[in-house]
Amino acid sequence: MAEENKENIESNNKGNGDIVTLKNLTKRFGDYVVLDEISLGIEKGKTTVVIGPSGCGKTVLIKHLLVLLRPSGGEVYFKGQRIDNLPEQELNKVRMQYGFLFQGGALFDSLSVVGNVTFPIVQHYEITDWKKVEELVASKLAMVGLDGFQNYYPANLSGGQRKRVALARAIALSPEVILYDEPTTGLDPIRSDIINELILKLQRELGVTTVVVTHDMTSAYKIADRIIMLHHGKIIADGDADHIRNHPHPIVQQFINGQVGEDDLAVLRASGTLTQSQFLPRDFKE
Amino acid sequence: MLEELGSKSIISLGNIGRFGRFVWQVMVASSRSCFRVSTYPLVWAQIHAIGVRSVPVIMITGAFVGMTLAIQAYDQLAGMGLEEHLGALINVSVVKELGPVLAAVMLAGRIGGALTAELGTMNVTEQIDAVRSMGTDPVKYLVVPRVLACLLLTPILIIYADLLGILGGYFVSVVQLEINSSAYWNFSASGVELWDVSVGVVKGIFFGGAIATISCYKGFTCREGAHGVGQACTEAFVSSFISILALNFAVDVVAKGIYNTFWTVKSLV
Ligand SMILES: Nc1ncnc2c1ncn2[C@@H]1O[C@H](COP(=O)(O)OP(=O)(O)O)[C@@H](O)[C@H]1O
Ligand SMILES: [Mg+2]
Repeated sequence: MAEENKENIESNNKGNGDIVTLKNLTKRFGDYVVLDEISLGIEKGKTTVVIGPSGCGKTVLIKHLLVLLRPSGGEVYFKGQRIDNLPEQELNKVRMQYGFLFQGGALFDSLSVVGNVTFPIVQHYEITDWKKVEELVASKLAMVGLDGFQNYYPANLSGGQRKRVALARAIALSPEVILYDEPTTGLDPIRSDIINELILKLQRELGVTTVVVTHDMTSAYKIADRIIMLHHGKIIADGDADHIRNHPHPIVQQFINGQVGEDDLAVLRASGTLTQSQFLPRDFKE
Repeated sequence: MLEELGSKSIISLGNIGRFGRFVWQVMVASSRSCFRVSTYPLVWAQIHAIGVRSVPVIMITGAFVGMTLAIQAYDQLAGMGLEEHLGALINVSVVKELGPVLAAVMLAGRIGGALTAELGTMNVTEQIDAVRSMGTDPVKYLVVPRVLACLLLTPILIIYADLLGILGGYFVSVVQLEINSSAYWNFSASGVELWDVSVGVVKGIFFGGAIATISCYKGFTCREGAHGVGQACTEAFVSSFISILALNFAVDVVAKGIYNTFWTVKSLV
C-alpha cells in the first residue's frame, strides 16, 4: 500500500515535461468502476507503455487521453489545457494533434488504402494540389513499408498490413502524440517485431510522444522508456523495464512471467479431476 | 417491483433524451451541410447505394397495393351500382395513404436494415471512434449524407410506388373486371387532386427522415458482437415502422386541417 502511494506521488511530481496529464481520472460504466482515481503524466518525446491483463481497462484509459470517452470524474490536460470538458467541436482541433492506432486497425472498409490514408487530410484541408497529396500518402505508406498498396482494399490485406495502413493513417497529419492500442496483439512474433521497430522508428525520426497499451511483455521491454501496470483500476507499478522486472509486487511478477495466480489455480483444483465420463465418446450421436 | 419500474422508466427516459439530442445534432449538421459542396459526392454515393436498387421492390409493392385495392373495392361499389367510380377510390387511397405507407415500410426494411447493420458494424469495429479520433464529427461524415439521401429518395420512390399502384389498379379494374377504360380514367382524374399527391410526397419526406435517423441512431448505439448488430437492426425496423404509422396519422390530421380551412370537403363518389 505504501509502495503504491509512493509511486503515484512520484508520477504526479514529474510534472513539467508532460504533454498529457491525467488527474484523479475515474471512469465508471454503471456501477462498475474501470478506472479508479488515476493520476499520470505522459512525458513529451518518450515512450510510455501501459500493461495489464485483458479487460483491465487499458483501452478505456487510452481513449481518455484524447477524450474519446468522457471521464466520470477527474481531469485530462493536453499541453496544460484542460480538455475533458471541451465541446466536441473544439476537441476535434485537439484530436488532430493525436494519432490513434486502434486495436483492430479500424480501417474504413468502404475506402481503399489511399482513401483511408487521405481521409484525415481531406477532412481538414481544402485540397488544390492532388499531386502533393499523392506524394504525401506515398511517403507515409513508405514509412510503414507499404508503398505500392495504394489501391488495395482493407479486405484484401493481412492483419499486420492492415495495422500498418492504419498506422500510416494515424500519422497522416503528422501528430505530436501517437497512441497504440495493442499494436502487436494477434500478430505472429516476426510481424510483432516489425511493428515494434516501426514504433521505435517513428519515435526516433519524428520525435513524437508515444503511448502504447499492450499485454505483450516482449514488446513492452523493447520499446518502453517507462512501463505502467494497471490492476483493478489503479496503477500498481511504474518505472523503467528493470524496475518492472524486479518489482516486488506478486501481481506484477505473475503478469510479466505469465503465471496463473494461486487463487485461480485453487479454483481449477476445486473443480476436481477430469474423468473419461466428462467427454462425449468419439462415435457419439444424438 | 416498484423500484424496478422506476429504474426502467429512468433508463427509457434517458434513451429518449439521447435520441432527442441525436436528432437535434443531425438537424443542425444537415442544415449546415446542405450548402456545402463537399457533402454532395457523399450524398450522391448514398443515393446510388441505397436508392437505385430499391426501385424494383418499391414498384412491386405499389403494383400489388393497387391490384388488391381494386379487387377489394369492386364488390362494395358494384353493390351500389357505382363500379365506374373505382378509379377514384383506388387512386386516392394509393396516392395518399397506402402507397406512401407501404413503400416506406418496405424502405424501412431495405434501407433501414442496411444502414443499421453498416453503422453498427462500424461502431463495433471502432471505425466510428476512428472518425472521431481524426477530429471529424461522425454525425456530419456518416449520418448527414445518409439522412439527406433518404430525404431526397423516399418521395421519389413513393412516386414510383404510386405510378405502379395506379397501373396495377387499372390492370385489375379494366382488364379483369371489365370497367370502361375512359370512365376509369375520368373518375380517377376528378377524384385525385394535386393536393392528394402532394400530401403523399410530403409524407415521404417525413418517413425518409424518420427511417434514416432512427436507423443511424440504432447503428451508433449498437452493442458489441454479432448479436448486438442483429438486435439493433430489429429494433431499428420496429421503431421505424411505428414512427411511420404515427407520422402518417399526424400528417393526415394536419393536412385535413389545412384542407378544410381552404377548400370544402368533396365526396369521393
Ligand atoms: N462502452 C462500455 N460500456 C460498458 N462497459 C465497458 C465499455 N467499454 C469498456 N467496458 C468495460 O470496461 C472494462 C475494460 O475494458 P477495456 O478497456 O476494453 O479492456 P482492455 O484492457 O482489454 O482494453 C471491461 O470490463 C469492459 O467490459
Ligand atoms: Mg483493449
